[in-house]
Amino acid sequence: MQSFSENWLPIGLAGYVAGVVAGLLFSRNSRVANYLSFGLGAVAALVSLVACVQGLVGGEALVSQTRQLLPSLTPIIRFSIRLDPLGLFFGVIVSLLGVALSIYSLGYARSFYGHKSVGVFGALFNTLLLATTLVFLAGNAFFFLLAWEIMALSAYCLVSFEHEREDARRGGVLFFVMSHLGTACLALGFLLLFQNANSYEFDSFRALSGQLEPGRRNAAFALFLLGFGLKAGIVPLHIWLPVAHPVAPSNVSALMSGVIIKTGIYGLARVFFEFLGTPPQWWGVTVLTIGVVSAVLGVLYALMEHDLKRLLAYHSIENIGIILMGLGASMMFLQARHPLLATMALIAGLYHTMNHAVFKGLLFLGAGAVLQAAGTRNMEDLGGLIHRMPKTAMCFLLGAVAISALPPLNGFVSEWLTYQALLQGFSVTPGLIRVLFPLSGAMLALTGALAAACFVKAFGITFLAQPRSGHARQAREVSSPMLAGQGLLAAVCVLLGLAPSLFLRVLDPVGRQLAGVAARDHLVTGSGWVLSGVAAGGGTVSTAGMTILALCLCAVPLALWWLLARRARTRIGPSWDCGLKGLTPQMEYTATGFSKPIRMIFKALFRPRREVQREYDFSPYFATTVRFESHVEEIFETRIYRPLNWLVLAVSRRLRALQAGSIQAYLIYIFITLLALLFWTL
Amino acid sequence: MTPPSQELGSHLITLMAALMLVVQMLLVVQKMLLAGIRLFALQSLLLAGIAAAAAFFNHASEVYVVALLTLAGKVLFLPWLLNRQVRRIQIVQEVEPLLGAPTSMLVCGGLTLLGYMVARPFTHLGRTGSNTLAVAITLLLTGIFLMFNCRKAVTQVLALLTVENGVMLAAVALTSYGMPLVVELGVFFDVLVAVMVLGILVYRIRETFASMDVDKLNQLKG
Repeated sequence: MQSFSENWLPIGLAGYVAGVVAGLLFSRNSRVANYLSFGLGAVAALVSLVACVQGLVGGEALVSQTRQLLPSLTPIIRFSIRLDPLGLFFGVIVSLLGVALSIYSLGYARSFYGHKSVGVFGALFNTLLLATTLVFLAGNAFFFLLAWEIMALSAYCLVSFEHEREDARRGGVLFFVMSHLGTACLALGFLLLFQNANSYEFDSFRALSGQLEPGRRNAAFALFLLGFGLKAGIVPLHIWLPVAHPVAPSNVSALMSGVIIKTGIYGLARVFFEFLGTPPQWWGVTVLTIGVVSAVLGVLYALMEHDLKRLLAYHSIENIGIILMGLGASMMFLQARHPLLATMALIAGLYHTMNHAVFKGLLFLGAGAVLQAAGTRNMEDLGGLIHRMPKTAMCFLLGAVAISALPPLNGFVSEWLTYQALLQGFSVTPGLIRVLFPLSGAMLALTGALAAACFVKAFGITFLAQPRSGHARQAREVSSPMLAGQGLLAAVCVLLGLAPSLFLRVLDPVGRQLAGVAARDHLVTGSGWVLSGVAAGGGTVSTAGMTILALCLCAVPLALWWLLARRARTRIGPSWDCGLKGLTPQMEYTATGFSKPIRMIFKALFRPRREVQREYDFSPYFATTVRFESHVEEIFETRIYRPLNWLVLAVSRRLRALQAGSIQAYLIYIFITLLALLFWTL
Repeated sequence: MTPPSQELGSHLITLMAALMLVVQMLLVVQKMLLAGIRLFALQSLLLAGIAAAAAFFNHASEVYVVALLTLAGKVLFLPWLLNRQVRRIQIVQEVEPLLGAPTSMLVCGGLTLLGYMVARPFTHLGRTGSNTLAVAITLLLTGIFLMFNCRKAVTQVLALLTVENGVMLAAVALTSYGMPLVVELGVFFDVLVAVMVLGILVYRIRETFASMDVDKLNQLKG
């Protein structure tokens, strides 16, 4: 019997293909190409979304069915699609963002009219969505790598889409290089599995289920961690993220930060929980530690940024870290034979994956709107936008609250679940290693606080007070499709926050597939409105209840006002300006100034450097010009990547002697190889 | 076919293969280009003879085609083409090898030894012309040696052709019926086209660098 999602998913995929074709066909007419290709993309994403959700919620029988999407070329290369809960769950993420981003792009692509090919842009965008969906659905290592590469290549084209700018080219190349390093690791990892399974099908990898000898298994773990970790942007493999994400067009940045880096999380979950069997303890410890380091360093570097999109990119690293904390804790619980806790930690991580996709997509769309309206990403030149673009500001504020893990929005729910898992880990894990759990919990708390500080800065400097430049003063609200895209994601943020039990129904099959237990009944009490930690000592929380409480509390000041100040006279006057004559933008807090305390506290990490040059005529107190420069050292680039780069170049220079350019030399190489092979056979 | 005649065929083929090897050695120590081309023609003639013998003694009539093609292409056409080329670009006749004649002979002797050692599992079989495999491998190895030993582009073309002769010898002698005719034809035309392209290239190199010395090509490197 063919199930619902099996019928509808191919239609969704075909819709993306139609979007690609339409974009290319009508590339001469920007307007038609825009509406057709992004419109088709939105419809296709919507169909896929419905199919994936239906598959997860309705289909019990959907656990790992393999189907052929296309007839195969050879026995090894099979285009098989595997509809299982994990893949469908990530399909939900990509489709959801696909809908919102395609709608947003309808408005955003208008800025390309006349000087860039909108048709090509739409075609590439649809290709990226299609390839990413296929990455999540592929049931064969070959097909997976194929989709993975198409995804990387189309993402590269999109990052460098505005290739007349130098930073876009550089960012694209860095992304391209890092991405292929990762793919090399993945190919090796899959070959390792293939040697034991004798097939590239995921089903046979699953059947393998950790019956590898330990050395081989650890090698596979390391390779996959490197390969998928590169894509996810874990520290210290993260350097491409803050370079590549900001230079892409904003809808592409949203897709990259929201979904593309999640392909790494998908791969890690797929391989570690399904293919490699019960993980040894040190795997979980490694993943958890990487998560902690990524989260803290990501948010610290984000605080130092004044470039709105770079700031968001650093936050992606932070959130990947939080997701990995959940996954790592889950792996440790699996090893300690606590399937229920493992499921809960896994669900926390995956829930955060979903949440991050939504709010980071939303924030990037907001940043894109700001960029289009004010023409700059530099926060020091922005300000006062809340009066000029109120709707964008509202959406951005919602996203900022969500990413700062403040209740009642979605970021809070998943981080709360992660806390619960980490805190309960202490009591159930034997040995000294359990100290890791409260430590990670503390670090997660630090991360949340710093993230909140960071978004106070991002929102406050960008949207509040007075505009700091003429561009910001002339900003106008963006077009309605762009607002619709943001509004949709903002609504999802609220929904995921207020009704987590609905969403847990989508996640439950995934937990059952990977960790073996259905945890929803343990996680949800109070007829679906209250979340609880699974163990007896765990806490409970209800975001909906909090909201109702907050709304009720709103009545208190109103009542007080009515009781006490009803009759008071209202007087409107200017803000206090320290006795000076009027407030100017120069008096405002700058982004640099705002983050200075944190820069000082973490001086050892940032190694801040500042230069002040002042010129004066007669008295140092009356300078004619002042030049101020402030830098933060990117420690991974200067301490790891630059020496590595230097080493590679030095070795290559040596090796270049081999390539002498003389035919004789090349012939001698061939001859020597031939002789060596002949002697080998003797 | 009676057995003595089979044996005669085998002897004949081995003899001609040995002669091919001798010609190859002469080619290695040869200093004049035109003489080299003639030696190559002689070697190809021997190859054609081997093909004809194989065809006659094994009653494999399609191998005659191979013999004829070799005769037409490698004995007559290619030497003529190369001759014309050499005369047209008026180069100095002398080839300037990397290694001197005595050293080259020593190296080639070593290569011959290696060829026989590698082919030993086959020579033990005692089939018709099975010794020729050793000769074929030696031709191949010395051909490549010849290729990097000479600096002139035309000599390298010659060396490539002797490598091809070696391959053809292995094909004809070992499989007694030759490879499928289609394959033979394919290989043959491959070589023909390659030589013509190389000929044009040589001409161009000569035009550009006023020399045929491939050492000059490293100026192309970025």
